[in-house]
Amino acid sequence: MDLKYVGKDIPRVDAYEKVTGTTKYMSDLSFDGMLWGKVLRSIHPHALIKSIDTSKAKALPGVEAVVTWEDVPGLNGFGIAIQDQPVLCKDKVRYAGDAVAAVAAVSKEIAEEAALLIEVEYEVLPVVDDPIRAIEPDSPKVHESGNILLHTEIRKGDIDKGFDEADLIIENTYYASRQEHAFLETEDGIALIEEDGTLTVYAGSHYPHRDQLQLSRCLNMPVEKIRVVSSPVGGAFGGKDELTIQPIMALLALKTGKPVKMVMPREESIISYWKRHPMIMIYRTGVKRDGTLVANDVKVYADTGAYASLGGPILNLALESSCGLYRIPHVHIDGYSVYTNNGISGAFRGFGVPQVTFAMESQMDIIAEKLGLDPIEFRRKNILKKGEVAPIGHHITTDVESEAVLDAMEGSRLWRERERYRGTDKNRPWIKRGVGLALSWQGMGLGVGLPDFGDAVIEMDPDGGFIVRVGCVEIGQGAMTVYAQVAAEALRFPIERIRVVIGDTRNAPDAGPTTASRAAYVGGKAIFLAAEEMNEKIKGYASGMLSVSPDEIEIDDGSAYVKTAKDKRVSYEEISSYAIERGGLPVAEGHFDLPTADKAIEGAFGLPHHIYSCCGQIAAVEVNTLTGQARVTDGAVVVDAGTVINQGGLEGQSEGGFVMGTGYALTEDLIIENGVVKTPNFSTYIIPTSKDMPSSIETIPVTNYESTGPFGAKGIGEIGMVPTAPAVTNAIYDAADIRVFKIPATGERIYELLKQKKGENK
Amino acid sequence: MKDIILKVNGRKYNLRIDESMTLLKVLREELELTGTKEGCGEGECGACTVLMDGKAVNSCLVLACEAEGHDITTIEGLADGELLSDIQEAFIEHQAFQCGFCTPGMIMTIKGFLDENPNPTEDEIEEAIAGNLCRCTGYKPIVAAVKDLVERRGNDGYNR
Repeated sequence: MDLKYVGKDIPRVDAYEKVTGTTKYMSDLSFDGMLWGKVLRSIHPHALIKSIDTSKAKALPGVEAVVTWEDVPGLNGFGIAIQDQPVLCKDKVRYAGDAVAAVAAVSKEIAEEAALLIEVEYEVLPVVDDPIRAIEPDSPKVHESGNILLHTEIRKGDIDKGFDEADLIIENTYYASRQEHAFLETEDGIALIEEDGTLTVYAGSHYPHRDQLQLSRCLNMPVEKIRVVSSPVGGAFGGKDELTIQPIMALLALKTGKPVKMVMPREESIISYWKRHPMIMIYRTGVKRDGTLVANDVKVYADTGAYASLGGPILNLALESSCGLYRIPHVHIDGYSVYTNNGISGAFRGFGVPQVTFAMESQMDIIAEKLGLDPIEFRRKNILKKGEVAPIGHHITTDVESEAVLDAMEGSRLWRERERYRGTDKNRPWIKRGVGLALSWQGMGLGVGLPDFGDAVIEMDPDGGFIVRVGCVEIGQGAMTVYAQVAAEALRFPIERIRVVIGDTRNAPDAGPTTASRAAYVGGKAIFLAAEEMNEKIKGYASGMLSVSPDEIEIDDGSAYVKTAKDKRVSYEEISSYAIERGGLPVAEGHFDLPTADKAIEGAFGLPHHIYSCCGQIAAVEVNTLTGQARVTDGAVVVDAGTVINQGGLEGQSEGGFVMGTGYALTEDLIIENGVVKTPNFSTYIIPTSKDMPSSIETIPVTNYESTGPFGAKGIGEIGMVPTAPAVTNAIYDAADIRVFKIPATGERIYELLKQKKGENK
Repeated sequence: MKDIILKVNGRKYNLRIDESMTLLKVLREELELTGTKEGCGEGECGACTVLMDGKAVNSCLVLACEAEGHDITTIEGLADGELLSDIQEAFIEHQAFQCGFCTPGMIMTIKGFLDENPNPTEDEIEEAIAGNLCRCTGYKPIVAAVKDLVERRGNDGYNR
């Protein structure tokens, strides 16, 4: 197909506003008579609430409302999967940061002062801070129901037989840290009551329609009376998937009848909201002498913190990918998602998969070295292909470009020239260099048994242009641009005259969450289907205007003409006037159901997925053996992308993912001790800066046409950071002969490992 | 409360403010210049960067009353009407932003830096923006945009 917009170098449609500072994020909005909200949070990680006295706060001049659990009109609970998190705690707090009360006042300062005047009497309870200890029967309980949120066990083949067949068995325990999203815009927004009584909530998130549903439950209001606007977002990465400040702002707005704005201070944001699950992963992997994998026994403990949110689905997605993209006949996977008083864990780019990929791809590297095999050859020998049985027992029935990804990794500049990047620095002999790689796969979409669809609407405007409406959000990934490109291509219409409206429950139809790498794929496909219907309508009008049958009409570049007589044509401006005279402008709808697997995996809700993305990465690392400091100097990202809709967007996701992954590998660790966050700001929680950026990152897309996606595209948003950590730690091994079992591989940890190695060698 | 005259983007504003107000707060809440962002409020992220007498500062760490008598430039003052500055154009061309929240601060840092050092090396560019955190892009396209811009300015002697 001759494409005009898809795959072309199209500038982002939101570019002008973003570089001029005129983009209005939710935190930039203000309204007349607006109040400021402030939350009072628990300082205790685990305690009973004996009493809450708000009288002094209420008496402070300038305070217009103080709310507690008593003011929650509906269900005092939210959570995407399980609604066990109180909007405002009633009798118990489960983490330091749990919301207890909130204030609305005429200024931010008065609101802050008033919050401190609320008197809460606590009875402190013992803290549960170790997920393995938490599942012991005598552990204090975070929830009445016990500390196990989810236990999933999956068996395939006969694990004992598998280990009997193995010539080599490698057993290790891996630890992955708690990662903070560190989006630059914290959880901010405004809630207000419209003249007609509608509650409007402006707050950045991944899914306005689900926020609307959750708010409706908490506030006991019909969804039609709630409007949520959640786009554009100043970064999210999964951290704004679950509700954050929305219900509290809404309560304050309902109580006062005035607009209430809240802006989370950075420290409060870090302490109070979502994180990547820390995981403890015990792996036992069996392999034959010739490099054939025969058995994998995986045990995962995920620390989900105080509330459920997406802890269950995250565990299951992690388990699905826990054995890598490999053919392994005998598998036993045993996973626990466990409540603790360690903050709250939830969705984060990769959704559990970066953790297990760190473990599995470290195992692969160790085995390849022990058997003297090339790491790519070893993976190729075991790689899972379409039609084969995955580790959790289902057949892979869609294209996952596993072999092509390995081929492209092998062909990448960094791998071909890896000898140039290895060895000891001549001038600084304490600098050791190495190259490592890792491969990953991840299910796209929400999984079997879950509603997973997208709707889009295309309207012709009175000037003969188009408005495209789709409910996903712009979190920075470039969704609006992709939507404009897909619409322009499918409508065969100039992109400049297409306006994209997203992220607003009133003005855009439900297209599901902007998560799971699904927004471009699902939203794009729904737009494509709506465009097909619109084209038919346009042909219908043109046939009336030109007095020929619709079959004889062709459309291109904003006009419709008779195929056999191209000078007989009408412009879309003329069509729009014609349509208005006949009752109204054309509107078309597209609905797309994301294809799911035929059969579910028993005992593992949501599994399997049906479409997978695959990504391989290579990292070159230098380790300073005097200080322990490691830095990533070069990278290569190979991603199974389907058709590339926007090359700049793809590179942005791949480079951004890779750099976020290097942070996860080397520095990022949200430390919680006895339930208290020790790293609540950017001087203690260290994310990569421009100085930490590799000098090159080569992005290589594998562009097999995905038959179900818009113009053959597939999602790539999450996978870009999934294999980075093990690529980096495998490179550290290559450089300095030390194996990292705990990420991040901070300077201190590497220094200790180097010291241990020195001791062993003596 | 204190009366001050603040000069922002060439325009003078007479303001009555609380002495404790930061420049960031005054820009965003009093002048409604919301292009300048708050990312941390404690000088760690650079999202609130503006120019004070041509030098990049974290506006969350400057008291508004101490900004009196200085020329303040924010992102809103960079384009000449519809005509974007060449830094902004380079950002668009290189897709040097994603969510865009760090972008105004990043652009202001680059503006202040290039005005002082028109021919930087790549290392110097990386050093210059090291105080501006970006979580989306991985920084590569930002550095590429600046490098490209420096080259172009060098070629046609053009600077706006």
